[in-house]
Amino acid sequence: MLCDKCKKNEARVYYTEIINGEKTEQHLCEECATEYTSFQMGTPIMNQELTLGSLLSTILGNFGGTAQGKGSVEKELHCDKCGMTYSEFMKVGRFGCERCYESFQSILDNSIKSIQGADTHTGKKPKNFQTKTEKLVKELSEIDKLTIQLQDAVEKEEFEEAVRLRDRIRELKKEEIGNA
Amino acid sequence: MLKWYKEAAKNSDVVISSRIRLARNLKKYPFSIKLNDQQANQLVQEVKEAGKVFDTQTDKRYNSCNVNVLSEIDKTAMVERHVISPLLVEKEQSTGLILSEDEKISIMINEEDHLRIQSVTGGMNIGEAYKTANLIDDITNELFDYAFSEKYGYLTSCPTNVGTGMRASYMVFLPALTLAGRITKLAEELGKYGVALRGTYGESSKSFGSIYQISNQKTLGSTETEIIEKLNGIVEQVMRQERRQREYLLINSFDEMEDKVYRSYGILKYAKQVSSDDAMTLLAQLKLGIDMELIHVGQNYNIHELMMEIQPGNLQYQLDKAISCTQRDKFRADYIRKRLPDIV
Repeated sequence: MLCDKCKKNEARVYYTEIINGEKTEQHLCEECATEYTSFQMGTPIMNQELTLGSLLSTILGNFGGTAQGKGSVEKELHCDKCGMTYSEFMKVGRFGCERCYESFQSILDNSIKSIQGADTHTGKKPKNFQTKTEKLVKELSEIDKLTIQLQDAVEKEEFEEAVRLRDRIRELKKEEIGNA
Repeated sequence: MLKWYKEAAKNSDVVISSRIRLARNLKKYPFSIKLNDQQANQLVQEVKEAGKVFDTQTDKRYNSCNVNVLSEIDKTAMVERHVISPLLVEKEQSTGLILSEDEKISIMINEEDHLRIQSVTGGMNIGEAYKTANLIDDITNELFDYAFSEKYGYLTSCPTNVGTGMRASYMVFLPALTLAGRITKLAEELGKYGVALRGTYGESSKSFGSIYQISNQKTLGSTETEIIEKLNGIVEQVMRQERRQREYLLINSFDEMEDKVYRSYGILKYAKQVSSDDAMTLLAQLKLGIDMELIHVGQNYNIHELMMEIQPGNLQYQLDKAISCTQRDKFRADYIRKRLPDIV
């Protein structure tokens, strides 16, 4: 069958478009499909990485470069550490520094899932790396920690444990006052 | 110590080698595209210097060098042996390399990311490759703070590598599937599982001698072990398909296959000039013949090693000088003839 558009090449793409409930069907050759539809034809095997790269730009492009996805060009997103701008990133597909991941987070959050299929790291961590929760816990005073445990015990209705914790907290507070 | 391509290894009729690559960036420098020349010099110097501890903290010996000052021949030869990437060669800024003597571990400095830690083993043994890469990563991390975020993991220049920063890949020999014209379809199928199949030398390169790379595409959201296990499952499938196709060839076109293999041997044995493309095709035929036991040569003869040695860069590297294309084809024919095993 020949292509419906150019009527020259063999039709290889069967394209169905539904706009406002109205269905149109076309038989197209690869060239016309690329030109007239959102289809990107290419050699599938050797350029997958490249395809992923351009896919990235396309996906990120959909979310716009401004803070809320609308607004003026002057407000273009940029990284305040390395100066990378949104449009520069779109061109090269590479970030300029580690801060870029925070600076462009509003766009990344929406798109990284489409690229990676996930948006949160679960693998290896650097040896001395502390998560935010670990850091917070570390900074807590002994009394704060016990108070959290006390609330937990009360919620679980473990009253004996709660009494023990309450007494311990009282002791510590007394010591503190004494020390002061 | 044996280089990886000299090792006798598991499943080597299909899987030639297993490779792990970890992408890492140091916290204190901007990423590659925002790195100025002075910072690049500093980065390369600093990492090379720090790399001296690998000698004492692992069981291997290492050499380091500045890649951008090497001769074109040296660089091409290293790309052909998969020690460095084409991207590292193209860079004009200061670039560096730390390489173990057995060439199983290489650390590229100032490639797309500050560090690209690569570990390779012969045959199907990616667990071993990961163990080594992981050790080098730990040692390096003792010396430098990495760019890392709780949410996104190891931060990389390109968001397609973020998370584990890990690319696990198998180099596979798929002559029967290639002959059956099934590679494109296979690549599409693997794509659905987030796995890429491409030509020998990575991104957008042609495949030579039916040798391909199979690697994970996604780097975020799964642990290193999960990525490896998933890839293993897929490679085992591919291996089964290739072997089944080879059996099919044996049953249905034994005479034709046998003739092809012996012809290839004959040409390789007596040709006076041979281009690298031709040589790769002929050697692939011969390798298939040996793997399928259509032709018998001395034990453990490693065709893949010969395939790497006859690439233009490596040939000139061995001659220690640049020669013209025709001279190269003559030298290559000579080189192969001398190393071709006898039929037993």
